[in-house]
Amino acid sequence: MDPTQATREVFWNIEYTWLVYVLMVPTLAIFGWGFWLKIRRWRAGQPAVRFDRLGERLQLFLRNAVGQGRTIRSRYAGVFHTLVYTGFIVLFLATTVVAIHHDTPLHIMKGHFYLVFQSLIVDVFGLFVLVGVALAAIRRWISKPNLLVYTDEASWILVTIFVMALTGFMVEGWRIAVTDDPWAAWSPIGNVFALASDPLMSDAAMQTGHVVIWWFHLVVAFGFIAWVPFSKMSHVFTAPLNIFTANLDGYGGSLKTIDFETAERFGINHLGDFTWKDLLDFDACTECGRCTDVCPANTVGKSLSPRDIILDLQGLMHRQGDQFLLNGNGNGNGSGANASDELLPIIDQKTAVSPEALFACTTCAACMEACPVHIEQMPKIVDARRYLVMEEADFPEGMMDMMNSLESRQHPFAGTQFSRVDWTEGLDIDVMAEMDDPHEAEVLMWVGCGGALVERNRNTVRATAKLLRKAGVKFAILGREESCTGDPARRVGNEFLFEMLAKGNVETMQRYGVRKVVTSCPHCFNSFRNEYPHFGGSYEVYHHTQFLDQLLESGRLDGHGAADSSSGSSTITFHDPCYLGRHNGEYEAPRNLLAKVGGARQVEMERSRNTSFCCGGGGGMAFVDEPPDQRVNQERAQEAVDTGADVVAVGCPFCATMLDDGVNARRGDREVKVRDVAELLWDAVGDSDQTVP
Amino acid sequence: MKLLVCLKQILDPDVPARDFQIDPAVKAARRGGANLVTNIFCENAVETALQFREAAGGDVKITALCYGESSAEDCLRKAMAMTVDEACLVERDGNTNPDAAAVGRVLAAAIRRLEQDGGPFDAVLVGRESGDWGVGQTGGLLAEELGRPALGFVESLQPGNGGVTLRRQTDVGIEVAEAEPPFLVTITNNEDNVPRIPKTRDVMMSYRKPLQKLSLADLELDSEEIRAGSSIFEVEEIFIPTDEVECELAEGDTLEERVDQLAKRIHEVVASIG
Ligand code: SF4
Ligand code: SF4
Repeated sequence: MDPTQATREVFWNIEYTWLVYVLMVPTLAIFGWGFWLKIRRWRAGQPAVRFDRLGERLQLFLRNAVGQGRTIRSRYAGVFHTLVYTGFIVLFLATTVVAIHHDTPLHIMKGHFYLVFQSLIVDVFGLFVLVGVALAAIRRWISKPNLLVYTDEASWILVTIFVMALTGFMVEGWRIAVTDDPWAAWSPIGNVFALASDPLMSDAAMQTGHVVIWWFHLVVAFGFIAWVPFSKMSHVFTAPLNIFTANLDGYGGSLKTIDFETAERFGINHLGDFTWKDLLDFDACTECGRCTDVCPANTVGKSLSPRDIILDLQGLMHRQGDQFLLNGNGNGNGSGANASDELLPIIDQKTAVSPEALFACTTCAACMEACPVHIEQMPKIVDARRYLVMEEADFPEGMMDMMNSLESRQHPFAGTQFSRVDWTEGLDIDVMAEMDDPHEAEVLMWVGCGGALVERNRNTVRATAKLLRKAGVKFAILGREESCTGDPARRVGNEFLFEMLAKGNVETMQRYGVRKVVTSCPHCFNSFRNEYPHFGGSYEVYHHTQFLDQLLESGRLDGHGAADSSSGSSTITFHDPCYLGRHNGEYEAPRNLLAKVGGARQVEMERSRNTSFCCGGGGGMAFVDEPPDQRVNQERAQEAVDTGADVVAVGCPFCATMLDDGVNARRGDREVKVRDVAELLWDAVGDSDQTVP
Repeated sequence: MKLLVCLKQILDPDVPARDFQIDPAVKAARRGGANLVTNIFCENAVETALQFREAAGGDVKITALCYGESSAEDCLRKAMAMTVDEACLVERDGNTNPDAAAVGRVLAAAIRRLEQDGGPFDAVLVGRESGDWGVGQTGGLLAEELGRPALGFVESLQPGNGGVTLRRQTDVGIEVAEAEPPFLVTITNNEDNVPRIPKTRDVMMSYRKPLQKLSLADLELDSEEIRAGSSIFEVEEIFIPTDEVECELAEGDTLEERVDQLAKRIHEVVASIG
């Protein structure tokens, strides 16, 4: 036997092979029609620029679509999905090889290539598919985790794939047995079927069985292909496309801006007001449930479920997709929106998109980080909130007080007993308006409302100021001229108020020629970094931990201060603020600083860095009274307390107050303190006679 | 029907204690770092008027009127954002604190002027008192100037048989009254007339609504006379009261000793106050 001559006969036992081509026509026609329907629907959306920066997009595509970068983060699902995914690719390639070999003059299916790839590798990957589907079935039918959506469709998909792979091995096995294939050993799984059938069945029975099962396999496979665009299997195509067209700018810059001069509606309550990319998002969902699984609001038992929001909107789109195409010409420029008024509202008490659910979101972006296909759940939630807030003036009471206060006092803390400059008492800090030449200030220290007006956080800003001074940084504050950056207004959905505040701040900062900003509030940091450029305010922006880290690195800040022994013996766990970590990708600076805190040991919470769990204060939720049994801050505090740490380090004034409350409720008899990184650093390197407070 | 709501702009009553300053020369609070807001009872009055319009099902025109500095335009814009139809500002010059009677005279003159141009107002709504001085006289004195019957502490207006049904708070409970326009009411707050947050579209529209500005001269009032006030009373002195707290810890090694000590001290203190 000459292995270079090894091959097999395509179709072998099968007659009427022309029928395959005949059946292929309606299959591909239905498949194409299904996707055409989808594409037409997406194109009825508003414009979005998502085919720019092709290099970056290609990279992301290779990493997270081809490379399954996010899918494999979850161990069990990652394993079975990789098995099925790679199996599908190899089997698809194998089918292509057969087609080329049979239908073109290139007879490639022979020799070592036939033996190694077309026989051995294909068999192994076919087995992968069987095992993968079995693992998925165990999860879906036996362990039944909450994150899944239990539909018949999903079950049928598993059954169909399993049947396709199994019947593939059956026909291979019978062909091997009947033809006494000399290369049988190269197809180990098929050979097992051959060996098992041989004693039980006559050659004639196997030949008949082969014909029947072969056609059955073909019909199931073609049926499956035609079904793809109408089932969640369409994710095979929509997911890679969605990843390619994902938002490249980080979650911190993912909210849309509104042109108030021209907008016909503020916020979104009709599908036609979404962009084509939003509509694609709905179709790309794989129902994996990871977003809901990590959602802090959902975790504590609130009705918010990002997965169900996406799926309910997908359902709505499929139900009335054609209706919102009525006046649209499908060119992706938003003309489909003309028909919006005839459409059902997306906000509906009876669905997952209820006002109650929408107003439970902390905008933490954990859902977006968890989604294997880069769906943008949070911006859609904010879109709908905008509609409720700006068109309907309908929102929770705590948020109303916050917005009222922002409007009349430019800070969200109604009833605070402090002014913006009280914290500076005894520190003699330069205020820009009182300086002869404000340009002398190397950097603007942006204090933030949460730092200046909340008693607990004034130590943080004092520590930050003292550290800056110790490092010899020439800095100044805006004092009473500082207004809220508008972050709470924006997250709650009051884009109008946000814009007003942002424009005011940009104007003030322009007046003083501010170029560099350091702030201890990640929300302010995010607004400056990602949102103010839109209003003409572009600055070099640092979170205080980043700035202090640089000062230490460069030696400007002397790290050999009078290390205070009280923090030296402690164990510290750092809580990543959503708007520093996930939204802006900074995980190291605060940890570097903590490493400097006189010998303290750092431990990590189970959910940290990009999977950090929100303190519960984002998205305007810091101003809402949560039901006592549904408090996100307590859930997080418990996790922090469980690490055994005696100091919970934070880098955000909202995290500080939320976790303070949470830790006090959950620490039991143990002494556990919540402290900002700057406070801890000052204790460690500050001058011993001036510890904070 | 036509309703008129009077508004007053005041220093934010929520101003942090440390930011609250007094100017002894003019015997009044100083603006300092405080913000300016619409007096809350005036906003309750706006809300009450809006709810009346909603209950009446249209054809009710609401006008907002304010006697204040040019900054008070913000209060009127906000009222229009809440969907009041039109507004009028009588401009006050300088940092003075006209008393309730002087304000009543100015408002009455303005109302008469507005009525000349656009017909009589069926009801005038005034906040029960303001959050700065808390005198609570403006409504009554304005009614006097206008020669209208007035009811105080009203919390809601509803269209009634031919007239208007009023609910007012009294010491003994809620009183329901039927009133025949024209009349004046002072409005107090209840859980139903919490001022609404305007819709963004209405905020934007408020800039397109008419805001008439009048000066005292337009109303043929002598500004010196108004500035001097009516002298129905005179402010003698104005100061921020200081609270002095003395803190003492009950000492002792055991809980019992400390409780004994505490009881003893309470006796002594009570005895010393006598
Ligand atoms: S942003 Fe956070 S709170 Fe909002 S839906 Fe996503 S995971 Fe839940
Ligand atoms: S939105 Fe993303 S994470 Fe959520 S269920 Fe769909 S695919 Fe999974």
